[in-house]
Amino acid sequence: MNIFWQASFRIAEKDLRTEFRRSYEVLSILTFSVGSILICSFAWGGGGVVEPEVAGAALWIILFFASILAFTTSFTREADRGTLGGLKTLPCSPLAILFGKIIYGTMLLFFVECVLIPFSIIFLNLDLSGRFPDLLFVCLLGAVGLSFAGSFVSGLVMFSEGKTLLLSFLLIPICMPVLLPSVMATKEIIGGSGITEVVPELRLLTAFLLLITAIMVLTFEFVLEE
Amino acid sequence: MHNNNIAVKITAVSKRYGYLQALKSVSLRIKKGEFLVFSGPNGAGKTTLLKIIATHISPSSGTVKIFGADALKGSETRRRIGLVTHESFLYDELSIRENLLFYANLFSVKEEDFLDTVDFLGLKRWYDVPVKQLSHGLRKRADIVRALIHNPDLILLDEPFAGLDTKTCDLLIDYFKSQEGTGKTLLISSHSLEWSKKICDKVVMLDKGKIVGEMAF
Repeated sequence: MNIFWQASFRIAEKDLRTEFRRSYEVLSILTFSVGSILICSFAWGGGGVVEPEVAGAALWIILFFASILAFTTSFTREADRGTLGGLKTLPCSPLAILFGKIIYGTMLLFFVECVLIPFSIIFLNLDLSGRFPDLLFVCLLGAVGLSFAGSFVSGLVMFSEGKTLLLSFLLIPICMPVLLPSVMATKEIIGGSGITEVVPELRLLTAFLLLITAIMVLTFEFVLEE
Repeated sequence: MHNNNIAVKITAVSKRYGYLQALKSVSLRIKKGEFLVFSGPNGAGKTTLLKIIATHISPSSGTVKIFGADALKGSETRRRIGLVTHESFLYDELSIRENLLFYANLFSVKEEDFLDTVDFLGLKRWYDVPVKQLSHGLRKRADIVRALIHNPDLILLDEPFAGLDTKTCDLLIDYFKSQEGTGKTLLISSHSLEWSKKICDKVVMLDKGKIVGEMAF
């Protein structure tokens, strides 16, 4: 493994380790996610089957807000605590640091999805009948998209005042190309379609990932500069 | 002076933060093996100069060469630099060992290669303790081990003695004295010369972003 990916994986591993040591933040994301599903379930009557478009929208609204909670601390905490300076001493490119944060964000969001989806199946009465891996795959790809956008924006705003507010505001438009295809693909899968029928949505998601990667490669070197 | 003997060559470096001119056309050559302290009042530009040498920030104008290579290019230069600032680069939730292994792995250094330094700086007892439970002095010592983990040729210390007790300062001075004659170059930034003059050969005085004097101890 070359130094780029080695650095990225080490940074992601370090972030996950520190995140789970400070377990109250992961717990707050999980509490918010599961609590939201429970509220939706009670509000919609609890017993009946929820429409696929409603369930898909609910799932991604919750994941989007969970991602805001996760990315508020991604680069910001490093900048606030001064540990960003340590990352800058490493013999790797700034992009390797960003990819480390993206890997960390993806794993954290995927962990949240792994808890959230079973709860959604139970409390929203979703009938997936064998399409659970398809839904998990779509959610994973969406988590990758949110992580790309979230980590990049977190890096952009880390030296700003009011960074939490800025992050939330900036994430809404930047995450739209992730959220729209993810919601549509999730709706289709919950509604009975297989993974092959959501290829156009997945293509759109992949195109966004390629676009944001190109932007990151061209600009991120300047983002780390104070 | 032959270029092979130069550790750091700074030519007409200026740095501006918005309206604030932190450095004004600073030029300096630092020989390999030299132990030097940048001194001056608060806001003189010491930390900015150290951060530019550490490749952490780029100058607004001018050039910096570290061991002959352009400081702005390549992460390879950072392999030869060890930096300690007034902010700790260690993660509170991780133990000293976990923190050091994180940095060591990225510099391809094995644990046994830095255990002597851990022992010398009296950290063995605290090795598996989370950093958040350590005192300021212990944390500073751990941060120094972190900076030296890859055996850098150029060591940069920003206010290393600030807030430390006499015993810890003596320990650090003993450690850095033991590095004399090994070919390493040591640059310290400090507004007080009380401790720095015990290890450094020379002081470069800065004021309002300019070098205003040099003096050998």
